[in-house]
Amino acid sequence: MISTERPPRRGLRHGWLLLALCLIPLLSVLHKTVIRGDSLSDLLPRTRWDLVYELELDGGGGPASLATFLPVGDRRQEIVLEDDSSPGLRLTTSEEGPNRRARWTGGRVPDDTVVRHRLSVLSSALEVQLSPGLRVPDAYPQDVAVYLRPEPALPVDASELQAVLTELGADEGLLVSRLEAIHGYTRGLSAAPGGEWDDVLTVLRGGQSSARGRSRLFVSLARASGLPARVVEGLVLRRGEDGARHCWAEVWVGGNWVPFCPTHGLFAAQPSNWLTVARGDVPLFEHSGVGGYAPRFVVDSELVTSPRALAGASPLNLWALFQRLGLPFSLLRTLLILPVGALVVVLFRNVVGMPTFGTFLPALIAGAASATGALWGLVGLLLVVVMVVAVRWAVQHLRLLHSPTLAILLAAVTTALLLTSLTADRVGLHALSYVAMFPIAVLAITAERFYMALEERGLRDAGRELAGTMVVILACYLVMNSLALQALMLEFPELLLLVLAADVYLGRWVGMRLSEYLRFRQLIPQEVAA
Amino acid sequence: MSWRGLQWRLSLSGIFGMNRRNVELVYDRNPRHLYRLADDKLLAKEVLAAAGVPVPADIATAEGLYELPDVLEALDTRGEFVVKPSLGGGGNGILVVGENLAPGLWRKAGGSELTEDQLRTHLANILFGAYARGALKDRVMVEPRIHPDPVFARLWQDGLCDLRVITVDREPVMAMVRVPTAQSDGKANLHQGGIGLAVELETGRVHRAVCQRRSLTHHPDSGVPLVGLQLPLWEDILHTAVEAAHAVPLGFLGVDVVVDVHDGPLVLEINARPGLEIQNVNQRGLGLALEEVA
Repeated sequence: MISTERPPRRGLRHGWLLLALCLIPLLSVLHKTVIRGDSLSDLLPRTRWDLVYELELDGGGGPASLATFLPVGDRRQEIVLEDDSSPGLRLTTSEEGPNRRARWTGGRVPDDTVVRHRLSVLSSALEVQLSPGLRVPDAYPQDVAVYLRPEPALPVDASELQAVLTELGADEGLLVSRLEAIHGYTRGLSAAPGGEWDDVLTVLRGGQSSARGRSRLFVSLARASGLPARVVEGLVLRRGEDGARHCWAEVWVGGNWVPFCPTHGLFAAQPSNWLTVARGDVPLFEHSGVGGYAPRFVVDSELVTSPRALAGASPLNLWALFQRLGLPFSLLRTLLILPVGALVVVLFRNVVGMPTFGTFLPALIAGAASATGALWGLVGLLLVVVMVVAVRWAVQHLRLLHSPTLAILLAAVTTALLLTSLTADRVGLHALSYVAMFPIAVLAITAERFYMALEERGLRDAGRELAGTMVVILACYLVMNSLALQALMLEFPELLLLVLAADVYLGRWVGMRLSEYLRFRQLIPQEVAA
Repeated sequence: MSWRGLQWRLSLSGIFGMNRRNVELVYDRNPRHLYRLADDKLLAKEVLAAAGVPVPADIATAEGLYELPDVLEALDTRGEFVVKPSLGGGGNGILVVGENLAPGLWRKAGGSELTEDQLRTHLANILFGAYARGALKDRVMVEPRIHPDPVFARLWQDGLCDLRVITVDREPVMAMVRVPTAQSDGKANLHQGGIGLAVELETGRVHRAVCQRRSLTHHPDSGVPLVGLQLPLWEDILHTAVEAAHAVPLGFLGVDVVVDVHDGPLVLEINARPGLEIQNVNQRGLGLALEEVA
């Protein structure tokens, strides 16, 4: 008697194991959030933006002076760290209304002097619920009332503005409906480049606008309607990109300044990666005595623990451990997310049926690529593959033994990586020079796997596996670099047990792989007699 | 075409995918530490021979470079032998040698010449694990070249047709013959264009021939009729396969048998994780075949 049934007792054992693996982390998370009463957003790690104002100065004739604005801490952005390196110059900061003015002064500066001002900012998104019943007040505090007056770039009394307000019905009625009308109108203008289209009246007549023009028009209309408003200068921060300047508007509503962006259609909201730099329609940079300057806003980001989580008395407090040992948080992040990447590989291999080099190489490569970006991970992989094919072709006729061939291969791969880095640096392709940062060990193993596949199964199979590996690397990268997932795993490492549960489940899953539906399609009956 | 309908039709087809094969057949019947019995051909041969299962004779074996001079000396003036890596898979690293042209010079089965230098490099590569799927060292085995029974020899002149019998709990469940073609470069490998012949277990008669998913009736190169072909010594072949299955503590096996014109059925190798393509060749899910045997 042949039985293909699994022994029932083993099935039961798997069931209990799965139950335990799912229940323990869920109970633990529940304990942390519900019983200890911490809200999830208090516990989850936050993004810390590391921003560098990088100002490259050309030497000029007289004493140098360069001024700009630095972000101020408020209810949605907290400056946690600040330091300055400006060789030969002296930094003074002063308050200017709601803003913080920074001024670097000194004698004559040589060419290529670089001022670097570093800021670390913790920021959160802001969304304000405006009560629709709010009325426009009759009077404002004195320091707010100044934001009703006209300014050189912000006309208020022009008859054209009044005409538009009347047309929009924004000259009377409740506060929120006025704002909605003005927001809708400025948002509806078609996009135009800056310069000419920064001017309020030009925009009003032409029906198109730059982002600055939109914000100014929004502010002008709000003021004309009796609502204190001002332009906001800021930076949009994105990891791995330079910060981009942007401007939007703020309106005084019910005792607070509330952000609006007609360019991106944000109503009473500001995303967490928008950094407020200065209030008012002010030039961001002013200089004298220097020939010119090229500002860059260099941006990086890092997940950091919330103070609440660090204080938590959990025995699994890895944050505290890493802080004590002086290990970088990025290492903790990679360690915790790697099993998730491995699960992705398992899904691709056992459920999709996609061939890859090695079981977990794709997850390792994706993990390593988090420092350089997925693109450079793939470039590194392709570089290795090209080298393997080239070396194999070159040494084939020497008929060398197997292991020495592999050793030659490794030497060729490392040399290729170093040369690529050098060349990339020479020609200014900075991102590509990161290729050498790629863990050589991982690439060397890849090289060997590819070589073996090439030797044993030929170019077609090796190519198929290479393609599969690249797809899975990309998938792993997307999953492993998801900030939300990283934050969750960092705060609740016990969720690893859920990953294990998925692994156990897939470990006993006997379903057909997607690729096998194709492979055995002839065996699947087309119709079944009733 | 609903997903549930598809799943139901699938369950009726009895197809074993990779996951189901591993969980229900391999892990439950073949303890991992015994894979070695199948993966290491030399070891398998020793175990099978000890149990009285017919296997090809030994000309020479080697475990290290120091033994190569002896191996080369033993082969110096003889022809008609096969060099194999003990851990190789998929026919990789197998060298079939025909006549001996002069001391230290042979003609390969493919027709080209083979010098002693080339043979030594090949032997050394085997020892270094070049064909050993991840292992870093391997053993060399040299056996007399098989002279297949005329029924098989007629199908393909230069290479070996091998017969695969799947056994589950020592019962034969499904069988096929793999026949090389010009397209498959003389290898009996279905993925490379070899022909698969479905064999009726009860009679040893070929009832279907498939090449790259297409049904055939005749061999595309030699024109020999395939469908309806009666395999010789069928009772003996099945008996040998079952004997091999009894000789090793592995409950799920692919037993590869060749029929030598003098020695009859010989077990070439056994596989603890046999492939699933045999289902496509027989046009039948392994699950249905298992039910029938049960």
